[in-house]
Order: sequence, then C-alpha cells, then structure tokens
Amino acid sequence: MHRQSMRWRAVAALPLLLATTVGAAAQGLKSYDSSKPSFWAHPPPDWFLGDETEGQKGLAPPSGPATPTPVDELQTDLKKIKLPPGFRIEVWASGIPEARQMAWGANGTLFVGSFGATNVYAVTESGGKREVKTIIKGLNMPTGVAFRDGSLYVIAINKLLRYDNAEANLDNLPEPVVVYDDMPPYIAHGWKYLVSDKNGWFYIPFGPPFNIGIPPTSVSQVRHVDPKTGLAEIVALGVRNSVGGDIDPRTGDYWFTENARDWISDDLPSDKLNHITRLGEHFGYPYCHQGDLPDPKFALGHKCSEFTPPVVKLGAHVAPLGMKFYTGSMFPPAYKDNIFIAEHGSWNRHQYQGGRIERVIVDPDGKNARQEVFASGWITGQRDYFGRPDDILQAPDGSLLVSDDWAGAIYRISYAK
Amino acid sequence: MKTFLSVMAAVVLLPVAHAGAASGDIEAGRARAKICAGCHGANGISASPGIPSLAGQRDQFLQWQLVFFRSGRRPNLLMGPIITQLSDADIRNLGAYYASLPANTAPAGAKPDEAARAKGQQIVADHHCANCHTDSLRGERAAASIADQREDYLIKALTDYRSGARPSVGVAAMTEAASGLNDEEIVAIAKYVATFQPAEK
Repeated sequence: MHRQSMRWRAVAALPLLLATTVGAAAQGLKSYDSSKPSFWAHPPPDWFLGDETEGQKGLAPPSGPATPTPVDELQTDLKKIKLPPGFRIEVWASGIPEARQMAWGANGTLFVGSFGATNVYAVTESGGKREVKTIIKGLNMPTGVAFRDGSLYVIAINKLLRYDNAEANLDNLPEPVVVYDDMPPYIAHGWKYLVSDKNGWFYIPFGPPFNIGIPPTSVSQVRHVDPKTGLAEIVALGVRNSVGGDIDPRTGDYWFTENARDWISDDLPSDKLNHITRLGEHFGYPYCHQGDLPDPKFALGHKCSEFTPPVVKLGAHVAPLGMKFYTGSMFPPAYKDNIFIAEHGSWNRHQYQGGRIERVIVDPDGKNARQEVFASGWITGQRDYFGRPDDILQAPDGSLLVSDDWAGAIYRISYAK
Repeated sequence: MKTFLSVMAAVVLLPVAHAGAASGDIEAGRARAKICAGCHGANGISASPGIPSLAGQRDQFLQWQLVFFRSGRRPNLLMGPIITQLSDADIRNLGAYYASLPANTAPAGAKPDEAARAKGQQIVADHHCANCHTDSLRGERAAASIADQREDYLIKALTDYRSGARPSVGVAAMTEAASGLNDEEIVAIAKYVATFQPAEK
C-alpha cells in the first residue's frame, strides 16, 4: 500500500528532472534519458557517480583488497596510527571481509554487517579466544545490524529482517521475519545503518540512487520505523547519503552523518554532522549543500536559509559513516558525551582525506561545536589506503571498537593513564 | 601500487624478512597455477572459446573473481570445485602470478567488423568505461584489463553482468553498466575492445 503510493510519487517527480537535465544538455553537459521506467530500475553508472567535471576527471571509487588483511600485516599497519597521548589501538578481530556496522548481543556476541560480501558475522569469545563466524550469507548489502530483546536485526537494501533468539543459535539461525520492506530497490546509496531508540523504533536512512538530482520521494530522507507494526514516519528530508547516526544520551535526539555530493571540487562541499530537532526537518539536498552552498544546477531558486544547516562541517570528501556518543568511563572525563565519527575517506578528491576517526565536542542543543582528529594514518600516499574506518561501537569496558571494511578487521582503542 | 608500497615498506623497515603478507608471492602462484593451465593456457593466454585469458590481468581483479567463485557469488560449474580448495594466501599468490605475465597483445584472429567496431567505440565512450578501465582499457586495481581479451569471452562477461549472473566489485558498477545493453551492443563492444589499439584513444 505504502509502496504503491511511493512509486507514483517517484514517477511524478520525473518531469521536473527531465526539464533540468535537458536544460543542462544545452550548456554542453551530459544529459540523461530518464523518461523510461528502466532508467529507475537500473540508473546508468555515470548517473550514480555523477557528472564528471574537468577538475575532478579520472577520479573513481577505489576498490579494496579482495581478501582480509592478514593479522601480522595489520599489526604493522596499526603502528602508523596516530592517537592522543594515553590511547592505544590494537587488532581486536581480523578475517571479516568488508566489515561494516557492529552491534552487541545481550550475551557478549558482536554482530557485524558487511558491504558487498553479502554476509553477517558473529564474533564470539570463549576462554580468551575470539572466533569469527559467518552466520548469514547471500543478503543484498547487509550493512546495518542491531540487537534488541534477544533478536538480531539486519537491514539489507530493501528489507529489515529479524532473527529471533539469535545468540543461542549462531550456527543455525532461524528463518528471518521480514519486519519492514516499504523500501525502494535502488542499490546505489541504498546501503543502510540501523539505530534503535529507547522504544525499539529504528532510525533508517534512505539515500538517493545518484550523486545529485531531484530524488524520488521514497528516498533522501530518514525514517523512524516501528519493527513491531511496520509503522513509519519521515523524520528528516533533504538528506543525501547517510550511513551513520546515534541517539544523544543527554536528550534522546537523533544525530546523523551525511555524505555530500561529489564533482564540485576537492574542497567543496563539506560533509556534515546533523541534528534533528523537529519532525520532518529539511536538510537541504539537492538544493543546498553544507548549509550555505546552493547547488550550481539543482538550487532551482531555493535559498540555503530555507534549510537546516549542519551542526558541524566535517570537511569535503571525508565520508563520515558510523558514529557514537561516548558514554563510557574508560576515557578521560572530557570525552563524556563527545561524538566519535568513523570517516571512510575520499574517492572524488585528488589528495584523499578522512580515513580517520574524528572527535566532536558539542552541547546538547548543537551549540559550541568543535572538532578534532582523534585517530588518523590509514591513508597512504596520495590516493590509497591500508584501512578505512566505517563504524564505531563502545565496548562494555568503555573502549571503542572500530570496524574497517577495507582491511576486513575490527580494532580496539583503549586508554590508560 | 599497493604491491610497490608494501615492497618498499618491507625494504625500508624490515630488510630481513616479512615481504608484505597481503601482496602475493609470484613463484608460489606459479606453482598453484598448474591447475589453471589446462583451460586458461600455459602462459595464461586462453585458446579455448568462452575461457578468458589471464596473463597481464589486474592482480586485484583476479583476486576478487577468485573470492567471488569461492563464496558462490559467481557460480560456475568448472571453477566451483577447484576454487573451494584455495586459501586467502593462494588467492593472493595467483593474483600476483597472472598479473606478472605478459598480456596477449596480438588482436585475436578474425578481421574486425569495422562498422561494429565503430559502434562499440561509441558505446564505450558513452558509458565512460575508461573511468574505471582507464584510457588504455588495461584497467587498474579491481577494474579488469579488458583490451585484447577474447571477443567471445567479453560477450559472455557482459551478458553475465547484464543478467546478474556475476557480481560487480563494490558498488555494482558493471551490473549497472551492462543492464541497459542489448545483444547487438554487447557484440559491438566486444569487437571493439578485443581489437583495441591504445593509439586510437
């Protein structure tokens, strides 16, 4: 029912899109024939990545190693990571291809999603030995995982799945229950992140299936979904590609990271940290970027003052993904309620940046924000990585776990005076 | 690049042992590749219809394909039984070995159909294939070297990407690129790419 109506609205958005792309073609830019339904089933590859510009020509997303980095090499690599005094980083688990979002089970199992690997993993510990198991195979980009009331939740491109009594059945998970599937099938920017609130509802981001354009109405938003009933509300609009968020322990508000568009320049526009303060707030995409930069093609007469600006500009092409408020007591008191953001790093930039963990100190109302680099060093040379942080999770002892989908590993960052 | 950097790091930091574990060992790969030679050719240049040449292929692309075969994400009756025996180290070694062999530079056999080639050239330009496969069409990282690959294999590969029978690396770029192609366009691309001369670009 919902799905049907969303399709119609997506189609209704097309005439506007056509008008703008044809207009652009007249200025010598590429144009797209978006009038056929097949366009939306399989948007052409350059549509997804965006119009190439002379300035950014030849830049393309790098692909990581095919196999997880062996543990001895990881240990050598981690020696190059810079941290503030007193902190150390170590390999916590390895051999986890394309590791993405992490979630703790109630009994200490760490569940880990993946990107293209189609897998969900469980990391268990017994007698001081850690073991990695692949517990689910064959899902379409199961990047997001969460654990709630004994059930493992996994979000793939267009399904939210629930595996009951998961921790007791790691070797033989039950058939999943589909708890929500009112979701479009676009793969590009269709990989998701799961954050559950105190009532058990999930915040779920929906990215547009392209770099820049007028989005179908089913995407460019964050929804708040009740897995018990399938009810959903749209809590944020005008969002490009968000693959991370968390609930502020001080207020219960949802904060989220957002990847800005590509192909403007090395230094514009900035990626964002956002804060939702009222239902249905619009964050600017595709009309306005970073709170103050009208899109050169898709501003369409809108002013940036119409939209909610970011709390923090994180920098261009840093690719902020998973984030967490720090609530532990292992780190120094100044870190309490700070936000840690895993930055996956650039592809559409001549000198990569990001590929690090950022620390943001900010008041509950979004005021007095400042940021600093917390952990860095995963970028090698101009445009290469030996690792790419993509999610952060606090461990029960107050240390931080960091997942890395490039090296297929999870690190632990701890503090001692 | 990765290989080069790892080797440099090993030279500079650890002159005695430990040659960057994640870059494969060519000689170990050569030994393991005996099981591949029957179909892919003794020098990695295939004489068998529908079987790709591997010589000069990109290390990362090869490794990704082996990972896909092993996990069943790229189902294949011939590769399936062989591949389950391979460890991550075998996969890295085979990638390094085949990447080290000289590519087949002679255009394979048949006289090019000029009209089809011209059409193929246009489609390759329209789809921005060079964005990933580079202007020389010899690829980089996980983007395959496609220049001088067998025409029949290029047709098979594009057809398989189009139908979803094989996965793309990362963000589904090949699945999306091939999804809108008709049979005639696939043949035109294959004819152009299989007889590609870098100077044409």
